[in-house]
Amino acid sequence: MAQTMTIHLKVWRQSGPDAKGKLVDYTLENLNEDMSFLEALDVLNEELIKKGEDPVEFDNDCREGICGSCGLMVGGIAHGPMKATAVCQLHMRHYKDGDTIVVEPFRATAFPIIKDLVVDRSAFDRIIAAGGYVSVDTGGAPDANSLPIPKEHVDEAFDFATCIGCGACVASCPNASASLFTGAKVAHLAHLPQGRIERKERVVRMVDQMKAEGFGDCSNHGECEAVCPKQISIAAIAKMRREYLRALFG
Amino acid sequence: MKLEAHVPSGPLAEKWQNYLDRAKLVNPANKRKHDILVVGTGLAGGSAAATLSELGYNVKVFCIQDSARRAHSIAAQGGINAAKNYPNDGDTVWRLFYDTIKGGDYRAREANVHRLAAVSNQIIDQCVAQGVPFAREYGGLLDNRSFGGAQVSRTFYARGQTGQQLLLGAYQALERQVRTGGVKMFPRREMLELVVVDGQARGIIVRNLVTGELERHAGDAVLLCTGGYGNVYFLSTNAKNSNVTAAWRCHRKGAFFANPCYTQIHPTCIPVSGQYQSKLTLMSESLRNDGRVWVPRKAGDARPPENIPEEERDYFLERRYPGFGNLVPRDVASRAAKVICDDGFGVGVTGQAVYLDFEDAIGRLGESGVRERYGNLFEMYERITGENPYRAPMRIYPAVHYTMGGLWVDYRLMSTIPGLFVLGEANFSDHGANRLGASALMQGLADGYFVISSTLGDYIASGGGSGKADVSEAPFDEAAGVAEDRIKRLLHVDGDKTVTEFHRELGQIMWDYVGMSRNRKGLRHAMDAIADLRAEYWENVSVPGRKDTLNKNLEFAGRVADFLELGELMARDALHRDESCGAHFREEYQTEEGEALRRDEEYTYVAAWEFTGDAASPVMHKEMLSFEAVDLSTRSYK
Amino acid sequence: MAPRIKHDKPGLWSALASPIGKKVLTGITGFAWAGFVILHMAGNLSYFGAGEAYNEYAHKLLSTGPLLYAVEIVLLICLVIHAILGVNIYLGKRRARKQGYDAYRSAGRPGLQSPSSRTMLLTGVVLLVFLVIHLKSFKFGPGIAEGYSLLVDGEPIRDLKRLVTEKFQHPIYAFGYTGVMVLLGFHLRHGVWSALQSLGAMNRRLTPLIYGIAALLAVGIAAGFVVLPLYIYFFAP
Repeated sequence: MAQTMTIHLKVWRQSGPDAKGKLVDYTLENLNEDMSFLEALDVLNEELIKKGEDPVEFDNDCREGICGSCGLMVGGIAHGPMKATAVCQLHMRHYKDGDTIVVEPFRATAFPIIKDLVVDRSAFDRIIAAGGYVSVDTGGAPDANSLPIPKEHVDEAFDFATCIGCGACVASCPNASASLFTGAKVAHLAHLPQGRIERKERVVRMVDQMKAEGFGDCSNHGECEAVCPKQISIAAIAKMRREYLRALFG
Repeated sequence: MKLEAHVPSGPLAEKWQNYLDRAKLVNPANKRKHDILVVGTGLAGGSAAATLSELGYNVKVFCIQDSARRAHSIAAQGGINAAKNYPNDGDTVWRLFYDTIKGGDYRAREANVHRLAAVSNQIIDQCVAQGVPFAREYGGLLDNRSFGGAQVSRTFYARGQTGQQLLLGAYQALERQVRTGGVKMFPRREMLELVVVDGQARGIIVRNLVTGELERHAGDAVLLCTGGYGNVYFLSTNAKNSNVTAAWRCHRKGAFFANPCYTQIHPTCIPVSGQYQSKLTLMSESLRNDGRVWVPRKAGDARPPENIPEEERDYFLERRYPGFGNLVPRDVASRAAKVICDDGFGVGVTGQAVYLDFEDAIGRLGESGVRERYGNLFEMYERITGENPYRAPMRIYPAVHYTMGGLWVDYRLMSTIPGLFVLGEANFSDHGANRLGASALMQGLADGYFVISSTLGDYIASGGGSGKADVSEAPFDEAAGVAEDRIKRLLHVDGDKTVTEFHRELGQIMWDYVGMSRNRKGLRHAMDAIADLRAEYWENVSVPGRKDTLNKNLEFAGRVADFLELGELMARDALHRDESCGAHFREEYQTEEGEALRRDEEYTYVAAWEFTGDAASPVMHKEMLSFEAVDLSTRSYK
Repeated sequence: MAPRIKHDKPGLWSALASPIGKKVLTGITGFAWAGFVILHMAGNLSYFGAGEAYNEYAHKLLSTGPLLYAVEIVLLICLVIHAILGVNIYLGKRRARKQGYDAYRSAGRPGLQSPSSRTMLLTGVVLLVFLVIHLKSFKFGPGIAEGYSLLVDGEPIRDLKRLVTEKFQHPIYAFGYTGVMVLLGFHLRHGVWSALQSLGAMNRRLTPLIYGIAALLAVGIAAGFVVLPLYIYFFAP
């Protein structure tokens, strides 16, 4: 049988966007090492509800690392200590009995806190709306094989297209920059012929929107890549810069 | 009330064209005067909303997630079918249609399925044009693979993240329309009521999940694209927030619910590991292309798998189905695993698992070859279980994955409430009693990109949704009042069981009695047990917190209340269907070899249930299914 | 709702003020100084050359006249831009996360966050202050008029070598200079690689390689600078 463990949590509680928040201590006993971290939070919430207290709010949905809903700072690292792992797939077996874990929301001015650990990441949607698409209406697309694309270009594009939009890049960045998120979409589309047609307007508009949303500037710490559940390379950011320079001078 | 499917005339292959030829068109200048409400932003909702906005309609889009990009379509792994026949292996629209209707065990509407196959190719073209990075060959053309036992390679895929890439394509198209102003997005909104004015769907009541405010939105038609109801089982591969509430509230308002008992149990999921388990994780069934399923020959054999010699292993799928072996359809593979575990041959701590072994594949392809094909799935397995599947076989067990049933719709995707259209998994229309792999993505996008644009136009141009609906009208007051009362009631019960405890209990009943294998006695028991649980729910549930803030527990409380009604209907539907077909397996109706026994004479119909005001006494309506183009044969995978 | 964008085509000014433009400018101006620093280091090392190599090198440099002025003006402009952008990016980062974390740590590789990357502003400010003192001590320090002269080919030139030797015999100057040069290495450890990334010159394969080379370069430059004061302090007559 799996080992049981006791874990001490310090969880950020904040009742609303303008309320003052604080870290609150909780101790969870009889956790199981096969549990996911979010399941441990479920256990906490069940206990709180039983006591008639408000459960800890945190965004989560697919719990298999693809929807990008979940996102917590766990022990000071976005999504916790495991590489290539969203917090929904972080398991308690990576902790020791008696560990203390600090749980905070993703913090950035552009991600205002809604409640507890839930933040508003709609800035990302607005960055995509600024140009993160190919302008084709439904219908009238040519046959899918009429445009051969080198496999390596598609593979490269795919690596950038795997972004789940969780915001860990912003949360972990010392500058709260959204460059990896924005760069990933710019790079995805710039690697494909379909996306090249609008490449200039796209990068300029997306970068402008990123700035307008109040994200910080990128200082090339590369922390974003280290916490990205999809391990998207900061090569995306370099690509975005090349695309921008091309838009200016190309 | 007679169910009128509005299937166009003409030979099967020409029906859709005939429909398009005759469908009424909305004057381009008038489109912007029509407000369309789209609920849900998965493949169906996202693609529909983007497409309708491109056409000029004024579209309002609602989703429960914080962003349209997070709908559960994102989690689909395997692929999307299309009859392109790029590999030149003999595929045709007809063959895709035939495989789909046969795979559904002849319980789907022929004309819908044919249309699905017919538009499948356009979907691929559209997605490629959007920049979806499908897998390609070295020559630069698109790659296809065979999926779920199909005899042809017709599945397009993007590594193990096809759903994600397709959804992001639709999401980006949607965001583009947000930029143009054609789409107005309302994220973190949950639809709680449908508003029907003069017999037509004219609005919705949504709860703003951040402020708790009940908002009223009026429109000329409502598109429900809210996915399936697999979470009625508590444990499923669905996302935590997937629910039936929007569809169920429409059902209560008069939309018939069709074939609720058809639920797909996917064979290759990671087994349950404990009581705290919150959801199950699916691994693409492409794993069965190279993995071999087995259990020990001796019941209760507790030796580690590597110590069990070859001759003491039972490769039960290969034994029972020599023709298809490990690639039998999902329902067959799942049930075989359940039977063998119920007989005591299961492995792992719980005994509720079978091995999926890659030893042969590693021998044949090398570890690197296996890594290339399944690397991300192997990593996922190791991340969740802490075990290395390159060393020891995976343990898998079936889990609830997809629901073929849903709101009844006619050929135009319109429900029994005029103006309420239902798209994607939320409707019942295309998969019959069992869905083939890589068909869900196809259906969601077919409905959203290519079907609804014409059928909605026809409805509007024919006078549907005419005149402006006003949110201050009495039906809006009434619907908002119903929603408000439910929320208040939930908050005031103040009992001592949590919503999750009720949900888990419901799920256990559903899994035990309305799961992979059903019988009369069990189904009757389930109906009683669910009714009792529902009664207890309204007396003993505990929902702390307030209604005017973010309160996820309150959201769940409302959803579980609806699952408690749906569950009973599912059991009732399963009980009434005295046959085994597709994913619906009734123990009383099986062949001597234990295979499903269909009863075409009696049950070749769609069971569409009408709500009558009391969850315990729905009325069933039949849409008889007639097949002019195919002969009903017994599925055999031997 | 956040503000919507108005223009699709950026003017040069708004492009330069964009998140990309700022980093590109920071990178270019940083490179200008990195180039200067390498030349300066080479000049320093001529101290160890035969005869009056050091003084002759310094003299030759001065005698380029207008060219030298031009280079100095360019460097000054680069410095101002580099410093302003550094402060601007720092202030932007403060605005972008008003409330910090109670617990924060780096996830390690493949991230490139380091004490160097986190202290660019601090090391930059120290280098700037040092630069003022350094210019005052040497460039605008005592020259021929003050007696620091010698005759080469019958012509009086500034005896910079003597000045340098005297200065570095003071422990404060010798060790202060050494300390600042270590910080320079620190600044360049992140700076060199970062500038290339900012200019978009990096990709997935190049980054680890260049990041490694940047480390060697930073250590090399710092080492090239510190040998002079340490040699003079410990070994010079």
